Amino acid sequence: MNDDHRPDPDALLAQVQLADAVSKSGRLHIFLGMCPGVGKTYAMLQTARQRVKEGVEVLVGIVETHGRSETAALLEGMRVLPRRKLEHRGFTLEEFDLDAVLVQRPRLVLVDELAHTNAPGSRHAKRYQDVLELIDMGIDVYTTLNVQHIDSQVDIVRQISGVAIQETVPDSILDRAHEIQLIDLSVEKLLERMADGKVYLGERAEQAVTGFFKTGNLTALRELALRFTAERVDRDLEDIRRSRRVSSAWKTNARLLVGVGPSPYAESLIRWTRRAATRLNCPWLVVWVEGSGVLTPVEQERLTRSLGLARKLGGEVLSVTGENVAEALLQAARDRNVSQIVVGKPDKPVWWRQSFADQIILGSGDIDVCVVRPLAAVDKTSATALNDTASASVIGEYSWVLVTVFTIASVCWGIVPYTGYMVVALVFLLAVVLGAMRFSRGPVLVMAALSALCWNFFFIPPQFTFFINKAEDWIMFGMFFIVALSMGSLTSRLRMREEAERRRARLTGALLRVTQSAALAAESEKGLAEALRSINELLHAHTALIVRENDRSLPKAAHPASTFQPSRKEWGVVAWSYENKQCAGRFTDTLPESEATWFPLQTATATMGVLGLQFERETRLDFATRQMIEAFALQLALVLEKEHFIEAVSHAEVLAQSEKLHRTLLDSVSHELKTPIAVITAALEGMDNQRSPYLAEITIATQRLQRVVDSLLQMTRLESDVLKPSLDWCDLRDVIAAAQHAIGAALDTHAVRLHLAEDFPLLKLDHALLTQAVANILHNAAIYTPAGTAIDVSATLRDQQLRLIIRDHGPGLPVGAERRVFEKFYRVLGSPAGGTGLGLAIARGFVQAQGGEITARNHPDGGAEFVIELNQVSAFVPPSK
Amino acid sequence: MTALIIDDEIQIRRLLRMALESKGYTVREAEKGQFGLQEAVFLKPDVILLDLGLPDMDGVEVLKRLREWSSVPVLILSVRDQESVKLAAFDAGADDYVSKPFSTAELIARLTAIQRRQGAHDAANLQLGPLVLDPVHHEASLDGRPLKLTPTEYALLAQLVRHAGKIVTLKHLLRAVWGPQAEEQSHYLRVYANHLRKKLEGSTLEIKNEPGIGYRLEET
Repeated sequence: MNDDHRPDPDALLAQVQLADAVSKSGRLHIFLGMCPGVGKTYAMLQTARQRVKEGVEVLVGIVETHGRSETAALLEGMRVLPRRKLEHRGFTLEEFDLDAVLVQRPRLVLVDELAHTNAPGSRHAKRYQDVLELIDMGIDVYTTLNVQHIDSQVDIVRQISGVAIQETVPDSILDRAHEIQLIDLSVEKLLERMADGKVYLGERAEQAVTGFFKTGNLTALRELALRFTAERVDRDLEDIRRSRRVSSAWKTNARLLVGVGPSPYAESLIRWTRRAATRLNCPWLVVWVEGSGVLTPVEQERLTRSLGLARKLGGEVLSVTGENVAEALLQAARDRNVSQIVVGKPDKPVWWRQSFADQIILGSGDIDVCVVRPLAAVDKTSATALNDTASASVIGEYSWVLVTVFTIASVCWGIVPYTGYMVVALVFLLAVVLGAMRFSRGPVLVMAALSALCWNFFFIPPQFTFFINKAEDWIMFGMFFIVALSMGSLTSRLRMREEAERRRARLTGALLRVTQSAALAAESEKGLAEALRSINELLHAHTALIVRENDRSLPKAAHPASTFQPSRKEWGVVAWSYENKQCAGRFTDTLPESEATWFPLQTATATMGVLGLQFERETRLDFATRQMIEAFALQLALVLEKEHFIEAVSHAEVLAQSEKLHRTLLDSVSHELKTPIAVITAALEGMDNQRSPYLAEITIATQRLQRVVDSLLQMTRLESDVLKPSLDWCDLRDVIAAAQHAIGAALDTHAVRLHLAEDFPLLKLDHALLTQAVANILHNAAIYTPAGTAIDVSATLRDQQLRLIIRDHGPGLPVGAERRVFEKFYRVLGSPAGGTGLGLAIARGFVQAQGGEITARNHPDGGAEFVIELNQVSAFVPPSK
Repeated sequence: MTALIIDDEIQIRRLLRMALESKGYTVREAEKGQFGLQEAVFLKPDVILLDLGLPDMDGVEVLKRLREWSSVPVLILSVRDQESVKLAAFDAGADDYVSKPFSTAELIARLTAIQRRQGAHDAANLQLGPLVLDPVHHEASLDGRPLKLTPTEYALLAQLVRHAGKIVTLKHLLRAVWGPQAEEQSHYLRVYANHLRKKLEGSTLEIKNEPGIGYRLEET
């Protein structure tokens, strides 16, 4: 054999592991086009047919032919999945049946129109989520997509065509794609096809769509698709170049940061940043600065949506706190080594202070600043409805202000003759300060202004005019006005800051309380119950905790500390969230019709279960709350994991203790039994056996005694569970030879014939255990078959299963004894004297200790046949010379 | 020649003394590990027979302390016959292992083998019965005829010949022939051992496999 061609075992192992990793997740192949009608579905079907010819198992999950006969013709002969029917408000909707595919598990499934929005009642809100689940389960997927549905391209499409696209897929799914194939068609050809009626334009709004299909629009879209694909190809090329010289995970050391707030421009800024980051191939951060201001419900809603978008597009979301937004943003940028900050262009100049962009630019130092023009998002939610509740309380405050001011005015009217009008100003000021502690900013400012005017009108002479005579009164009035305004403003800002601080403190406190009660409680059950109670109080919710069983399956019922039990329907959501390690249920995109929201309890290494929350009043889940629940979930997961580890360690300790005890006991017993035998054997050897026939008898008896002692000790060891197979490569021939050697003279009367292929591979087995098992069977055969007959040993290896067959040519087993021969102390009737009935029981024990099984039967051609079966045996075929 | 027996069983010691003295050894005995170590220091025996189950300390521990300063050949003589115990003893530096009950003849043969190793190191040519190895040219001959070997086969055979009659652990062979990083690659060793067996077929030499422990080259 040539040593140079010996494969490097490490390299082989690495290859195998790589192949394993690749095969785990399915491949995603996206057929990308510029707009409907370019032939994506057609191309997908053609490619799929090719795969069918190659022998791949292909299933058509869902394909829309839109009545085109060429496309329909391609579907002929393919296996098409029946669609799932959903009832929704009296309509029957047909949808792609995800569960059926997961059950059937084909190699490849075709799912048309990636950007499709699923009908209500489906598991996921969007079809791309179905596709992600499929590839996570190791199924390959072919799908089609138009470039205008890519999330980061939506703004550009809107600029080009004026159409706001609602159905989008996040860019991250394109990163998961193994292959993106561009289906290109010239604009003239497309228009021709359209004129021939070959392009499906959707069911409604013929003219809107035809407006969209203009040569200018189409050319721009085509450029967009081409450019998008080109960028991807460029990135892949870079990847290949890079993989030859390994270094950090990103090509450049660039890192983008975009600051977002509750403004309608945030989404556009986020999309812009994502596009830039993709082009630079660098990580990007989305930072939200939580200031002192209290967000209105509309703003809250917008912020949640923007941050959700950022997450969906693959950005890292960071929330920091700070009074000055620009400063906080710059601090975050420096902390995270950001190279570029993206800010929106200010829409109109404000003369009394610097614009936000200016502040960032001034403070940015060596960080580049990118000022971009954002587009305002189209508000989809009914903002007015949300505003109603807010404005109701504000109107209430304004009326309070009016009442207060006029009450004070009338009271002061009574005291003014005694005190003079100057004191009245102070009373008004006091009222403004007190009011600022209760009311929000707007009403306080109105109150300040109103007080000033009241004072002027009713109290400053000349009374009942706004006219002021004396210069000092003018100054007094001016100063009162300014002091009242600024006092009101300052106090109300102070109060808001205090409120924000209190809210943060409450969150931190709650997190601490949850952590402490769960982690430090002496009894874990009570601790968890305490933690759940804290969460309930804080969020006004009911919680259910589902903790996985030790075998990683989900339990039948929620943890006893839970305050609600999930219904049978909810368990499906629980299982999905647990298996996919993602949030699911209400307020999420997955199974949003559930009653509760479910968060996986995930640590770095394991998913410990699921936490469910059922909100009492909440109508939506804002970003901060969601982040907080995720923090709770992490804490609970860590606590559960810690407990799991403690349990495992103590279990291992008990095992080790009992193992040690067994070993000590076995050692001393075997010492006591074997030492006398050793003395007798050695002493006998020193004597001359020929001289006295008695000595020969003693020798035989000693050998028998030794065998019995060995058997008993082996049996004890087997039953005490201290046997642990230690696998190593071995040659089956060695095993048989060692077994023959171990039996010694008792086998001299029988010939053992080994039938083994010349190139039979090396096997990874416990050499000693298998040798003992084989020796016991061979010995058994030698005792129970007539002298001079042969024993045949053969072996086969198929699908990692080793079958070792030992066949004798004796009288065979008595009928019905095929199983009983392996029982302890069982002896076939008429057995020769001098056996314990342990040999085969021990053989079975040794085989079972290696996870195998042993069976006996009578061979049709006579004689008994013993089969040792071992599963999951690794084999090594030596490279031939 | 002096042999030191460290065993707590007086009957075993007496029997071993009789057997060894008949072969011309001077025999000293110790019934505890501590005494055994002291005797080893003062006596400088040529060979030590060591029991593993000693009353004051474990035999493997005695062996480890002994190996800190001495390379005297040590034969383990014990009732424990599990593979893991044997491997631990070999890892601690045992030269061979005989489990009780034992055959006196086999014991004497093993003793002779582990003592022979001490002198055989420096010889220009390695020889065992009909097999001659030339370490300078990496050539071998069997019964006077040249034996064709690949470099790996030669290296493996040389290791076995150098420790002829004595068990050589898998770990030792893998490390010596393939290098320290190959300790887990025992399948290669199995393959080459089989090749060597085929090449030695028909001669008086036999490569014996000790399940899970290693190989022993013996002349029959």
